[in-house]
Amino acid sequence: MDDRKKSNGGRAASRGAGLTRRGVLSAGAAALGGSALSSFPYISRARAAGEPLKFWQFYAPGGPVASQAKWFEDMVTSWNDKNDVKVQLEYITDYMDGTKLPTAFASGQGPDIFVISPGDFLRYYNGGVLVDLTPYIEEKAKADLPAGIMGTRMVDGKIYGIPMEVEPMAMYYSVEAFEQAKLNENDIPKTWDQLLDVAKKLTNDKRYGVLFESAPGYYQNFTWYPFLWQGGGEIVEGGKSAFNSPATVQALKFWQDAVNSGVCPRKPLGGGAWDTVPNLGSGFCAIQNVGIWGIAQLREGSPNTKYGVFKLPTPANGKYVTVGGGWAFVANAKGKDPETAAKFCVWALGSMAPDSVQRVVDWCTKAKSDMPPRTSALEAGKDAFEQGFLKTFKNDIYPGTRGEPRLPPQVYKAVSDAIQACQLNGQDPQAAAATASQQIDAFLAGYKGAPLL
Amino acid sequence: MSVPALKSAAQGASAVSARRRRLTLSMERREWLAGYLFVAPDALGLLTFVAAPAFLALALGTFQVDGFGGYQFVGLGNYRRMLADPLFLQSLRVTAIYVVALVPCLYVVGLALALAVQRPSLASSVFRSLFFMPQMVSLVVVALVWQVLLVDKIGLLTRAAAFLGLGHISWFGDPTFSLAVIVFISVWFLMGFYMLIFLGGLQDIPREFYDAAKIDGAGPIACFFHITLPLLQPTSFFILLVSTVTAVCGSQTFDLIYVTTKGGPANSTSLTTFYIYQTAFEFGDYGYAAAMASVLIVILMALTFVLFLITRGGRFHYA
Repeated sequence: MDDRKKSNGGRAASRGAGLTRRGVLSAGAAALGGSALSSFPYISRARAAGEPLKFWQFYAPGGPVASQAKWFEDMVTSWNDKNDVKVQLEYITDYMDGTKLPTAFASGQGPDIFVISPGDFLRYYNGGVLVDLTPYIEEKAKADLPAGIMGTRMVDGKIYGIPMEVEPMAMYYSVEAFEQAKLNENDIPKTWDQLLDVAKKLTNDKRYGVLFESAPGYYQNFTWYPFLWQGGGEIVEGGKSAFNSPATVQALKFWQDAVNSGVCPRKPLGGGAWDTVPNLGSGFCAIQNVGIWGIAQLREGSPNTKYGVFKLPTPANGKYVTVGGGWAFVANAKGKDPETAAKFCVWALGSMAPDSVQRVVDWCTKAKSDMPPRTSALEAGKDAFEQGFLKTFKNDIYPGTRGEPRLPPQVYKAVSDAIQACQLNGQDPQAAAATASQQIDAFLAGYKGAPLL
Repeated sequence: MSVPALKSAAQGASAVSARRRRLTLSMERREWLAGYLFVAPDALGLLTFVAAPAFLALALGTFQVDGFGGYQFVGLGNYRRMLADPLFLQSLRVTAIYVVALVPCLYVVGLALALAVQRPSLASSVFRSLFFMPQMVSLVVVALVWQVLLVDKIGLLTRAAAFLGLGHISWFGDPTFSLAVIVFISVWFLMGFYMLIFLGGLQDIPREFYDAAKIDGAGPIACFFHITLPLLQPTSFFILLVSTVTAVCGSQTFDLIYVTTKGGPANSTSLTTFYIYQTAFEFGDYGYAAAMASVLIVILMALTFVLFLITRGGRFHYA
């Protein structure tokens, strides 16, 4: 057979197999066109009509606390067993600081259901992507959600998010460190000055006396707010900045003194000061400012650590207040099926059905260690909340809890810069408060959106 | 075969050949076509993934974008806002310090390492691999490792510094040291790559030059300043250009800052690229972020232009 015949034979074989040059080019062009078309939101939404609702959150299987991922999986399995429209969990890494969630919304591909903290509420509410959940919540259940907790998830009396937890901040201390420094429960500090004194006694060559968050970000602001409030300070009042106040200066100076006196590190270990195992658990610090979730962290990650919990100390003549954060389920108004997504959120956390109440109890007592955002859940889980450190939180710490404020990113950044400048760069607190206050006022002058709380 | 048949066959062949000649391009045309075909994939890639996004970013910079589909034309508003934004101006200052510190350090360290390992030997091969090794690891891993070494009070290098009487330094938590530490880790991470480029440049220098200089009585220092350094001009130009672009864009530093300092303490490590990232993805202000990115690109182009101007377009004449 000559070359031409070989070639023809080859082409014939190719044709037989359906692989011609023209065919490959046409298929490629079709694939390219198809993918380009499917990237248009309306077309992709129609195409995805039969697909499950995507639920984005950050409790990945194999994470540090296995029971938390399992709680999510059990919840979704339970929904999927009873409903035609299914829900599918998607685990997003670096959920709070990463690009996945904002870029998904920017491209019209946001998840159907997702979780947000009060710090992020305004961004998504003002963006018009939160479904009003009020019509799906029965009246009895609305009364079951305390107003103090719901305030930052509501606008004009309408509910846009159902919280899964309340996470008040407290101080955890190492019993071993106290014993080494010849301190006992009677030495637990009640004022800021006492805290710095005790921290000094607990500080040695390998250990810091106290730990506050030092990395800039939403979390650092969140942990600093109660110290501002304790002196009667506010960030915004009556639509204007209230940040330039003696209470702000005093709170900024308190954290500055802690670092300057050498009792507080400039950089925590592990993921940050929210992480108890590498800090308090490892002996890096003797007292740690952290939330209620620390109980579950230490239970799972450092079970041999002996520790105690006490409420945040106050300034002289100050009033005890702590901050209670927590995440909430929200539904995407621009998702595939906003109505079903809203029903899912309400079914999961906001219904009076026994399984909904029990789900909140399980999350707050088994999967995590949190205070429940529902009166009925506090009652249903009273056995758990009447023992151990959860009891300390319920009786001593939780009663002074104020919800995490909802602020736009520009206000958060001004506050963050003031904290950073004073805590780590030795800036005069009065000057930092004044600068931040000017920035906040400049932003508020052009702000249009839901009220700041 | 008869004569007419042969004639007819010859005429047929001649007609085919004429047809082929008509279809065949001249050598010059073929080379021209081949050249463009070779360049086409790269040019298409650049147009699609660099030029088009850069143009879109430029356009986006004239809008206020809320990140949820809302666009409002603001003209040059974002650019005016930049002039009064202390955080942007501070990020430019941090970037300038970073560039001024990083580029010379990378040049000196890269060249020193290349000179140290240029002679072929087993030890040189081992050290070349060791110096290049940081490049093989993800920058996130590099950041985590250095974080452990430099952690407050109990980190290995922190304790070494305390042992030397420097006290308990917080390398990442003190604005006095944080940017210097970021520069140091960047140099450590990138030095192997620049060493390799310098090695290539050194190997292009003919040995005869050194032999002749030795006969004339030149020592190693004279050889370095009169032969090595002048003949490394093209390599030096390339390295200065690449390292400047790397430093201004922060492309090899973003992960490091994201993992170790998040732009802190007190914005002391907030390079412009990091601030752009924060503005876009943390504050949801995409239009303003795009405008800042456009300004950064203009700065980068200006710096590149100056470098080309100094070196007359990267052409070097040793005479």
